[in-house]
Amino acid sequence: MPLQKLKERLMGRMVLGTASVATVLLAYIWVTNLPDNNPALLPPIRDIFGAFIANVESGSLATALGASLFRVIMGFLIGTSAAVLIGCLIGWYKVAEYLFDPLIEAVRPIPPLAYIPIIIIWFGIGEFSRILIITIACFMVCVVNVIAGMKNVPQVYVDAASTMGATRLQVFRTVAVPAATPFIITGYRIALGAAWTTLVASELIAAQNGLGFLLQEGRRYFLTDQVMMIIVIIGACAFLMDRAFRVIQARLMVWSEARE
Amino acid sequence: MSEIVVDNLTHTFGKGSDSALTVLDNINLRLESGSFNAIVGTSGCGKSTLLKMMAGLFDPSDGQMTLDGDIIKGTNRRRGMVFQQDAVFPWMTVARNVSYGPRLRGASKEEQAEIEKKWVQMVGLSGFEDRWPRELSGGMRKRVDIGRVYANDPDVLLMDEPFGALDAQTKERMQSDLLDTWSATRKTVVFVTHDLEEAIFLADKIIVMSARPGRVHHIEKVSLPRPRTNDMRLTDEFLTIKRRLWAMLEH
Repeated sequence: MPLQKLKERLMGRMVLGTASVATVLLAYIWVTNLPDNNPALLPPIRDIFGAFIANVESGSLATALGASLFRVIMGFLIGTSAAVLIGCLIGWYKVAEYLFDPLIEAVRPIPPLAYIPIIIIWFGIGEFSRILIITIACFMVCVVNVIAGMKNVPQVYVDAASTMGATRLQVFRTVAVPAATPFIITGYRIALGAAWTTLVASELIAAQNGLGFLLQEGRRYFLTDQVMMIIVIIGACAFLMDRAFRVIQARLMVWSEARE
Repeated sequence: MSEIVVDNLTHTFGKGSDSALTVLDNINLRLESGSFNAIVGTSGCGKSTLLKMMAGLFDPSDGQMTLDGDIIKGTNRRRGMVFQQDAVFPWMTVARNVSYGPRLRGASKEEQAEIEKKWVQMVGLSGFEDRWPRELSGGMRKRVDIGRVYANDPDVLLMDEPFGALDAQTKERMQSDLLDTWSATRKTVVFVTHDLEEAIFLADKIIVMSARPGRVHHIEKVSLPRPRTNDMRLTDEFLTIKRRLWAMLEH
């Protein structure tokens, strides 16, 4: 039996997860240490770290991170709030569904990045434009989930509440919204991912600061180590925010059988 | 007083179209105040449809039902319902589920606590107040359901095969406990089931329905004494009724 235990532990989530990350990392170190490696294409880890230190000391990383986080958070908050509001209405009230659903279905397949040119033409390349693009992206992915959540509220809960005397509005507030919470939270998480994706794209095209700008600067001056460093930073930020979200999700969903 | 009268009720799904299907045909019933009524019949006899109409979840195409003379239209807290499926709200604890109805009408924290205490105990769930429904067994969740409807203090209790999904032992206990609760409050109960033994054990009056279209085939008065005990299930009187009803459902 101890052998079985050992096997279980070795095959555990932490061990296997660490192993796969470590393998990629070690392979990278190995390749970059080969004699004929070109550091301008594959910079060694010490150079990436050096770029990190340099950008921290000059303060440019903090500035860029601050600017980017501000955009992500603003776009995310505005986009998801609008999505929850409109998604609830569409999912719950037939009139709202008939009114807005065709519109959303028509617009939904368009990638948010396709709006960048028209937004620049209309609003210029300022802060507003970038936040607007992120807002659109967050709204689109989130609203679909909110609508699905509302439409999947089990009828028996609605009937139970109605037979206990709940008004239509009370059913909405005390039954539909909580029953749809799992879908809504999933919508939030997907929106967060969409926010980061569109952020970088919007900053690559038009920005004087932000993480995307540092990426662009790195490309222009062939600072591959800086490019690599920013990629890692973006990955880490998105990962940490998603983790924070999972904690909130677990808190909100203590009642659910299908907790993550 | 809470007497239900069903008056010339007919219900046709898709009325007027080619595929119109009459599920209930000219039903006339009088369910006395404070009585325990069971509706039995094979599947497709429209017994659940009839019950849902009593709850006001949808309207009959012809005829009407009244509760104490008032025409039943739309849902109302006077007519509480326990469903076949699990209707306990999974996002509320046991206690919060039980006080849901009073909370809708703005009951104070103290009133809610009092109601929770009383009804959690009445349905035998003391100690489980703060548990989530997912932590309970199917039988316990049904108890929450029943407690929640009782705590809402309706005049009529409509039950749609509430114990259908439970195992035999749990079912018998739930039936006895339901009778205890019912005797303590004497609300009019309409209990739909396809289980003859369950109907005989619980009810004063059994409405036997025939299928396609659903009609009232027979009304059986059960005069077994109350309180009913489990050993009555094997008495001659009980078995005679069971044999008679069983023969009817065979046809």
